[in-house]
Amino acid sequence: MAPQLTLQAPLELPPTEVSPYLTQLWSQGLQGATGAATFTLVVWEPAWLEQHLIRTGRCDGPITGLVNEERLEAARLAVSECGLPFSTAPMAPDLAWALGQLGGEHQAQDLRGQFVSGAISAHMPRRLITLAATLADNHPLETMVAAYCPLPEEGGTGGACGDVVVLKGGMGALHQGLALISPLVGNDLPCWVWWNGSLDEAPEMLSALAPIPRRLMVDSSLGTPRRCLDLLVERIGAGQAVNDLNWLRLRSWRESLAMVFDPPGRRDALNHVVQLDIDVEGNHPVKGLLLAAWIADRLGWHLENSFVIPTGEASGDGFGAEFQRTDGESVRFRLMPVPVGVPKAHPGALVGLRLICAPAERPPLCVILCSESGGCMRLESGGMASMELAEEVVPLPNESEEMEVARLLGGGHDTTNPLLAAAVPLAAKLLAH
Amino acid sequence: MNAILTNPLRVGLRQERVISPQCIVIFGASGDLTHRKLIPALFELFRQRRLPSEFAVLGCARRPWSDEEFRSRMATALGEEVRNHQSAWEQFASCLFYEPVDLEQPEHVVRLGQRLEVIDRLKATRGNRTFYLSVSPAFYGSGCRSLAAAGLLADPSRSRVVIEKPFGRDYGSAQQLNKVVGTCAQESQIFRIDHYLGKETVQNILVLRFANAIFEPIWNRNYIANVQITAAETVGVEERAGYYESSGALRDMVQNHLTQMLALTTMEAPGRFDPEAIRNEKAKVLQAARLADEQEPWNCCVRGQYSSGGSQARPMSGYRQEPGVNTNSTTETYVAMKLFINNWRWQGVPFYLRTGKRLPKRMSEVVLTFREAPVHLFDAAGGSPTANQLILRIQPDEGAGFLFEVKAPGSGMRSRPVDMHFSYDESFGEPSDEGYVRLLADAMLGDPTLFTRSDEVEAAWRLYTPLLELIDDSPWQLPIHPYESGTWGPGASDNLLANDGLMWRRP
Repeated sequence: MAPQLTLQAPLELPPTEVSPYLTQLWSQGLQGATGAATFTLVVWEPAWLEQHLIRTGRCDGPITGLVNEERLEAARLAVSECGLPFSTAPMAPDLAWALGQLGGEHQAQDLRGQFVSGAISAHMPRRLITLAATLADNHPLETMVAAYCPLPEEGGTGGACGDVVVLKGGMGALHQGLALISPLVGNDLPCWVWWNGSLDEAPEMLSALAPIPRRLMVDSSLGTPRRCLDLLVERIGAGQAVNDLNWLRLRSWRESLAMVFDPPGRRDALNHVVQLDIDVEGNHPVKGLLLAAWIADRLGWHLENSFVIPTGEASGDGFGAEFQRTDGESVRFRLMPVPVGVPKAHPGALVGLRLICAPAERPPLCVILCSESGGCMRLESGGMASMELAEEVVPLPNESEEMEVARLLGGGHDTTNPLLAAAVPLAAKLLAH
Repeated sequence: MNAILTNPLRVGLRQERVISPQCIVIFGASGDLTHRKLIPALFELFRQRRLPSEFAVLGCARRPWSDEEFRSRMATALGEEVRNHQSAWEQFASCLFYEPVDLEQPEHVVRLGQRLEVIDRLKATRGNRTFYLSVSPAFYGSGCRSLAAAGLLADPSRSRVVIEKPFGRDYGSAQQLNKVVGTCAQESQIFRIDHYLGKETVQNILVLRFANAIFEPIWNRNYIANVQITAAETVGVEERAGYYESSGALRDMVQNHLTQMLALTTMEAPGRFDPEAIRNEKAKVLQAARLADEQEPWNCCVRGQYSSGGSQARPMSGYRQEPGVNTNSTTETYVAMKLFINNWRWQGVPFYLRTGKRLPKRMSEVVLTFREAPVHLFDAAGGSPTANQLILRIQPDEGAGFLFEVKAPGSGMRSRPVDMHFSYDESFGEPSDEGYVRLLADAMLGDPTLFTRSDEVEAAWRLYTPLLELIDDSPWQLPIHPYESGTWGPGASDNLLANDGLMWRRP
């Protein structure tokens, strides 16, 4: 779905006039139109990577906040130029930081907040508030406002409209602008907060933007693993509806693994798992740990201990754990980072999974799931000749960030998915210090 | 061995499509279908987290119930389901509302619109509405008109109407109803429900045919000798005598359920998996279908009516002795017929359809019998080789079987038939969702693939018009053959196939 621009050029207003202007607009300027009774979406949109790619002349503008193939390709090329390991994912905050150390003064028009993904605009947000942090820390606060009514071809009938508010500026200026947000959000419609950046940055901004009961959308592949998991634990524990895009990207892995055990004849093997191995790209284990935690939770395993497995490699350390099954037997878990030549967009994408089950008086069953884009030779090696082998290739998710967000906005919940809520605390424990 | 009954990794994975915030409005909320099928289906969707938090059900009927009374009645009706999931029910019940509405009263419909606006604000349902007409068919047209007049169908992207069967009584009335409904809403807003299409196994006909390269090349007149479609029920008319007396098996089962199975079995491959592409192909094949003898339909159709039967321990009364049934009733509880499809794929292949009440077994299936091998090289254990059969079991024991000849063990070269068996239970182990779960979700998603389009409905009625006219105008030409309860229908039905040198498959 093509991105949609706001129909009306945004009007730049002094921050103090934003709220009165919108009130006046809806009461007088848009007579005959009603505000869509949908939701408010607040987006933290620093787009550091895109801003640096443009500033250093690696991409053309405008700055939109949307990730596309051109941006990802430019980011992949920049990985080696910045001297980062080949396994560094293009979306990794490390890359944006490294690009930030390079010179360059290219300028481009900044359309963040006005360039709305078609998938999101199709849900007709009542109000879309974008916080667009600029590279220049001393950039003063700019506030822009636009109203829009969906075109008939977008499914609109012209009667239900929304508005767009953009707050742009340096970090200090955006902090000042936070006071504007609450009156704009209101309490009559659900509010979603999409933290479309690293979870390491601006924690006080995150706290201010996403108090309960606002529904939070984050990406636990962006940020240090400990911070990502701790934040999920804290927010879910506090009762907030949390949606993790990194968890959603596990969908095809969970589906593929469940499919192996759909035939009832295979199910008993789940009672006899003795070993679980997961390989991930680079040094971001959160996605792999969430998958392991989901399996452990679903199978009722109890965590005995967890530990770091030093590798001495640039790709990072591994993680190990021992679980106890419901029958008291042990399960050995290992998560290892593996170097890859062409990493996927997000850090810590899964490369492969191996689950070995050893039922009594039956041949062992070895389940191997491999990523569509890479092999899993490491998991295929060693001692499986006598086992029944179930090997599946997991399709790559083909949906953009915005599509995932749109799915959540299209029919979301005011509570956290119970499977994620159960997996997160366990994943946090698996991430041994 | 500690067996795991369900796949613990499967839990929570049925979230592939997201239902938008919305309010489903059920007209006829005090009726049987609401508490037996609709509310249980919605509760199941809720428990699977497939409904958004911004969701509401507004029950509407003439009875002056309150929200609380509606909730309490639904809780009572769901019984054990509620007791087993008490906390989920409490959350779900908070989404249930009730509004006394008589669709014939314009002021009631205006009040309904106001109530919906209140619910929109309360539950943030965004003005998305699915109106479910679970009312007497006589009110389908006027119900749609009332909704349209109140502006409740004005936005095609946000409002849709689900209409239960029967959609019309014959070709003329279906055309008329389509015309009325078409003036109230766009075709994309109309969801004519046939719960058979909600069954996994019925949908599997499409997947089996079009996801496997091996079937399609032989799925035609060159390889298939005949097709039998059966929907057998063990129950009698039960409490539905009032409705059944005026419909009979032809209208109640054949025109919709069996015809949908026929369409899915015989349609051409759609160019893409798209609702309109699929419905185009279904409509086309139904337009090509004809009774085997349209001029003298009594030659290709048998009607029957169950008489008493059963055993001394469990006697079963005859249809005419059922409460609410006319003692001289000529309503058919069994019907069998022969059809042809006049197109390149199916020319000359007979299709035999049968359905009945009080038959020995509850089952639905589609059986494709292939042509015999051109030369019989081997002696067959049964005298002559059994023709290959592909059996699509719709219910129960959902799955498919393939009957083919193999060498019987021993020193000779005798052949005997064996059955290759696929079972949903054995392969997936999870019970399929009830048809209404799937169809309600699809209606709320605005996906019409599994709903019947106006031209399909009309083509289906047109197909049976010669029979319906005969039944209405000169029923003696299509007499009712009595059959004993618990048997496979009247002998005349067997003769229908015997005339072609065939017999019904005994499942």
